[in-house]
Amino acid sequence: MKPNACDRNRRTLGKPGQSPAYRNSPGPFAKHSPISPGEARSAIIETMYDEIAAVAGNQPLTGGHFILSVRSPRQAQEARPGQFAMIRLLGHSDVLLRRPMSIYDVRPEVNGRQALSSNSGAPVVLDFLYKIVGRGTELMATLRPGDKVGLLGPLGHGFFAEDYLAEARQSDEVLHVAGGIGIAALVLPARELTQAGVPQRLFFGARTRDDLVGVDGFEPYVRETILATEDGSLGHRGYVTRPFEEHLCRRTGQRLLILACGPWAMLEAAVALAQRYGQRCLVSMENRMGCALGVCLGCCIRVHGEGHGAYERVCTEGPVFWAEHVVWGKDALPKT
Amino acid sequence: MPSYTPKAETQLPSPDLQTSTFVSEMQVTIAGVEFQNPVLTASGTFGYGQEFAQLIDLNRLGGICVKGISADPMPGNPPPRIYETESGMLNAIGLQNVGAKRFLEEKLPFLRTLRARCVVNVFGYSTEDYVRCLDILNEGEGIDAYELNISCPNTRCGGMVYGSDPKLTEEVVAASKRAARFPLFVKLSPNVTDIAVFARAAEAAGADALTLVNTFVGMAIDVETRTPRISNVTSGLSGPAIKPLALRLVHQAARAVRIPIIGIGGIASAEDAIEFLIAGAGAVQIGTANFYAPDTAIRVADGIADYCRRKQLHLNQLVGSLKLPDSAVQ
Repeated sequence: MKPNACDRNRRTLGKPGQSPAYRNSPGPFAKHSPISPGEARSAIIETMYDEIAAVAGNQPLTGGHFILSVRSPRQAQEARPGQFAMIRLLGHSDVLLRRPMSIYDVRPEVNGRQALSSNSGAPVVLDFLYKIVGRGTELMATLRPGDKVGLLGPLGHGFFAEDYLAEARQSDEVLHVAGGIGIAALVLPARELTQAGVPQRLFFGARTRDDLVGVDGFEPYVRETILATEDGSLGHRGYVTRPFEEHLCRRTGQRLLILACGPWAMLEAAVALAQRYGQRCLVSMENRMGCALGVCLGCCIRVHGEGHGAYERVCTEGPVFWAEHVVWGKDALPKT
Repeated sequence: MPSYTPKAETQLPSPDLQTSTFVSEMQVTIAGVEFQNPVLTASGTFGYGQEFAQLIDLNRLGGICVKGISADPMPGNPPPRIYETESGMLNAIGLQNVGAKRFLEEKLPFLRTLRARCVVNVFGYSTEDYVRCLDILNEGEGIDAYELNISCPNTRCGGMVYGSDPKLTEEVVAASKRAARFPLFVKLSPNVTDIAVFARAAEAAGADALTLVNTFVGMAIDVETRTPRISNVTSGLSGPAIKPLALRLVHQAARAVRIPIIGIGGIASAEDAIEFLIAGAGAVQIGTANFYAPDTAIRVADGIADYCRRKQLHLNQLVGSLKLPDSAVQ
C-alpha cells in the first residue's frame, strides 16, 4: 500500500482481521512463553503521525512542573489512554533526541484548563505534564504559544481497551497508584473508566506537596484521593505505598485492578503489594528512549522469557505491561 | 573489483558543457551493487526498514543496512542502554537481534520488495560465527551486500576485538569473503591509532568496500549515584558530535585504499554528507538522525542532488575531490 500525500504518515499495525488480543496478558502469574521483541504485536494502535505542531500553551504549575499543550487534531483524536508522544525541540542540535511524554489529556478547547474534564467536541489539543529535570525539559519550559515542536504520536499500546476495560468492569474497584508525574499516564484511563461506570480511587505520592500536581484533573473521576508526601507536607507522611497497602488489606476478598505509573522503586513496591494481596496490576513503564519507533532498542526492559525474549521495548511492546510480565528486582533496574 | 575508485581523478566539466538543463547522475555503484542514490540508512538505527514504512517513502533511499544479524538470536545488554549527550548519544544495546534464520523468514521478504538496496550487517563472536551467519544468510534472496561488523564496541568478545588488531581483521575478513555469496563491505572501528593500517588490512583480505566508522567508545557517569549511565559501563558515541572525527578517518582511509568507502558518522544534513563525499566516500550512511528525523536520508539525497546541479558536477566527480592546500600535499 503506497501512502498518498495527505495520508503518508499513517501507519497501520497488526493485520486486518486479527484479533486485538494483547500478548502480554495471559492471566495472573501465568508462565510466559518467550516473546520476541522483533515481532509486531497485534495492536490497537492504528495510526501515528510525525508532524510539526504549534504550542497552544505552556502553563507553569508548582514545583517546576508545567503542562505543555500542543495542537494536533489528528493525534488528539487518535490518542488512547496510556499512549505517549515524542516531542522534539526544534533548533537545538545539542538536545538531539525527542522526549517521550505521556499523553496527559486531550481536549477540544485551546484556552483554559477548565476544559480538562470536557467531553464535548472533538479533541484538538494534547496536554503533556512534565517536570524540569534536565536541559531538555528546561528548554521545553521556555516554549510559548505559537512556537513549533516536532510531535510524533500517538505511540505505544497504552491501556489496551479490550483487556483492561473488561478486567476493570469485573473488578469491584480500580486503584490508581501514581508517583510524581507518573500521574500523567493515568488521567485518560481514569476518564475512560468513569465513562464505563467503574468505581476508582487514587493513591498519589510525591516528594513534597509542590510535586502533587494534577490532582484537580483527577478528582472528577475518583471517589477518593489519598495523598502522600515523603516530607509530610501534604497527606500521609512517607511513601504512597503505605496507605495503598492499608487499603488492599481492608479490601481483602474483593477483586481489584491496579493501574500504576511512577518511579521504578514505587512501581516495584506497588507490584509486590498487588501480588501479595492477589490483585492484578498494570504498570505504565518509563524509560529513556532513542526513537520510540522500535528500532534503537534503547528502551528495553527485562521481561519474563528466555534468551531473545528476555527484553521488550517500552515504546512498542509497552508502555503498559501486566506487572507479572516484567522482571523486577535489582538486576532488571532501569535508571529513572 | 571495485566499479569505481573513490580517488578517481576528478575532472570538472568544461564551461562549454555547462547548461541550465544539467542533470547530475545520482546513481552510484559500489562493489558492483548499484544504488539509486548514495544515501543509505545505517545499521542499528533503522530496524529492518518496515518500522519506517509509514513515515517515509522507503523507495527513495539508496539502501538500508539492517540491524546487525548474528547466526543465533542475541538478547542484548541489560538496561540502561542509551544516554543522550550533547549533540550525540551513547548506546550499548548489545546487538539484540532475531538471528539470521528468522531474519530471512520474517524481515527479508519485505526488504526485497523495495527499490532501496538491502545491506545485511553481520556480527559474530568468532570467525566461525561470522562464517556460520553468512552461510545461513547466503540462502536469502534479495540481499544485495553484506556489511561485516568488526567494530561493535559493546560486546564482550568478537566485534571490536576483530577491528582493533590488523591480523584478526585480515583473518575474519578473509574467511568471510570466502564464505560470502554477495559483495562484502567491512565496517571499521574508529577506536584505533592508525585507520590506514586497518583499511589496508581489510582491503588486502578481500573486502569489496569499507564502511567508516562505527561508534566511538565513550562513557557517562551519574554523579548523584556515582554509577555509569549505561549498564555496559562503556558505550558507543554517535550523532553530530562525532562528525569531524569520522570525517578525518574517512579522509585518511580514502588515501590508503583503492576500494570504495561508505562514510558514516554524525551526518544530519546534505552539507554533512557532501563533506564525506569530498573527503573520498563514494556513499554515506545516516544513523542517529533517523531517530529524531526519519526523513533525514531523503532530505540528504535531495540536497546532494541540488548541490551537484548547482555545481554542475556528477556525483563521481564530487567523490574524493578535496582540494588540499599545497602545504598539505606531499
